[in-house]
Amino acid sequence: MLTIFRYALARLRGQILGWGVILFLLGLMTVARYDVLMENQEQVRQMLKGSAANFMRALGDPAKLTRPEGFLSIGFFSFLPLVLGVFAVLAGSGLLAADEENGTLDLLLAHPVSRTALFVGRVLAFAAGPVAILALSWLGFVVMMARSALAVGWAEMALPYLSLLAVLLFFGALALLLSMVLPSRRVAAMAAGMVLLVSFFLTTLARLDKDLETIARLSPLAYYQSGEAILGLNGAWFGGLLGAAGLLAALAWWRFERRDIRVVGEGAWHWRLWPRKVSP
Amino acid sequence: MSMPSALLTQRLSKSYGEVRALRGVDLEVRGGEIVGFLGPNGAGKTTAIRCMLDLIRPSAGTVRVLGLDPQVEPVAVRSRVGYLPGELRLDDNLTAEGALRFFNRLRRGRADWAFVRRLAERLGLDLQTPIKNFSKGNKQKVGVVQALMHRPELLLLDEPTSGLDPLGQQEVLRLVAEARAGGATVFFSSHILSEIEEIAERVVIIRRGAVVEVASTAALLDRAVRRVRVRFRQPPDTLMLNGIPGVKLLSRDDRGSVLLQVTGEMDKLLKALAVYPVSDFETERPSLEEVFLAYYEGDRQEKR
Repeated sequence: MLTIFRYALARLRGQILGWGVILFLLGLMTVARYDVLMENQEQVRQMLKGSAANFMRALGDPAKLTRPEGFLSIGFFSFLPLVLGVFAVLAGSGLLAADEENGTLDLLLAHPVSRTALFVGRVLAFAAGPVAILALSWLGFVVMMARSALAVGWAEMALPYLSLLAVLLFFGALALLLSMVLPSRRVAAMAAGMVLLVSFFLTTLARLDKDLETIARLSPLAYYQSGEAILGLNGAWFGGLLGAAGLLAALAWWRFERRDIRVVGEGAWHWRLWPRKVSP
Repeated sequence: MSMPSALLTQRLSKSYGEVRALRGVDLEVRGGEIVGFLGPNGAGKTTAIRCMLDLIRPSAGTVRVLGLDPQVEPVAVRSRVGYLPGELRLDDNLTAEGALRFFNRLRRGRADWAFVRRLAERLGLDLQTPIKNFSKGNKQKVGVVQALMHRPELLLLDEPTSGLDPLGQQEVLRLVAEARAGGATVFFSSHILSEIEEIAERVVIIRRGAVVEVASTAALLDRAVRRVRVRFRQPPDTLMLNGIPGVKLLSRDDRGSVLLQVTGEMDKLLKALAVYPVSDFETERPSLEEVFLAYYEGDRQEKR
């Protein structure tokens, strides 16, 4: 399993570095932007009297913009589930299905590796990816916060990342499960991506339109705390998202254990909800 | 005492929806033999081999590999088997050595690296080259090395010489023969009938998902139809020639030369000819290809 884990993680190395470095730099910039904002509070208040406040309300509470939790929500964490969700969906849907579709899984599973060991090794590598990306991003904040007006402790700063991690694991696990039941990785990524997109817009619009709040509770992103998490992590939401991710991953494992490994050119690519009766 | 079965399938069936890829395949490969698995595209060769490794699950029937059920003990089966898939795909980002070391780690480092280097050298494979720079043939060589490097008890090879040049093909066949000499059992599918004829002791012919023939390569060739040209000093008695069991007169000329078709052994023909003055006798040895094509003649006629 360790070999599988290391191999899978090595393959994600480029993506982890790419996303991680970008978010590290973005973290540095976000802290610097907070300092600029605090130096220009009067202008900000004027701006919030205009239509910009309506736009900001979709991302967080504009009244809290000059407070760390409000600024972090609006200025950074509100859009991360969508941006990093793309990584989670692509990585999750391709975790096994990509190798299956390009034919490398066939040879891999011909070695003395159980399907469970392969699955667990890959899932752990997938989970380690967002952890590494988010850790780099968190580091960007921590490095700058010591010299900034953004008075948040390093441990508190980790809490929004934990909330975000739960969201990413949820969408990754959803994409993984879909890749086990849908006919191709692409279809699975599209379906999970649609869920992500609809969830994002639903929760965003629900902040503007109270009528949407009830339906928005069905969205996984309704349980994402964004920057507000620095005031304290909602354990039930966090645990709920992690539990749901675990359940989806368990279902994906159950399916993977029982299904045929497809191979290029073989007639197993059709998707049927109910298998047709075979004539004798 | 007979050798235990290295491979045993009983009524093995596999369906994909309405497509029946395997229809009750019964086959047995005894320990220490080389068996060729022969059939055209879509006959079920790859499906049968993949059932043996639990890559796909049979719809019905049983499979035993080295006495184990692959569905119950897949890891134990795979640790004792070397497999070369028909559609070999490798991680293009690795070098040949990187890929082989990865596979070796999956086998808990069982391969002797000096042996790996020797295999690569014999196949003319540069281990330091990235796989993405390899031709199909060189990728196939990486596949052959990974199948052989841990000296498995059973080799399941799906088209092992696919994409290789004639020298590479010969070297792979030598390596397979050496593995067998070292005690391994070899079950391999191929389209290249001459290579099955060259190294396989027995042949399993599969047609439309069902085994239609299992026989020793020699027996299969012996049973085949041969063409025999005989030149007599005097024109022979055609009634006598047609009366020999298994012999059919195809043509004759005025100079005493006849072309005969002989089914099965030549013994009866030779005994019948012994009483006649014969000036020349030529026989065409049938290739396995002719035998194979005879099995598929029905298919081809049905398709027309």
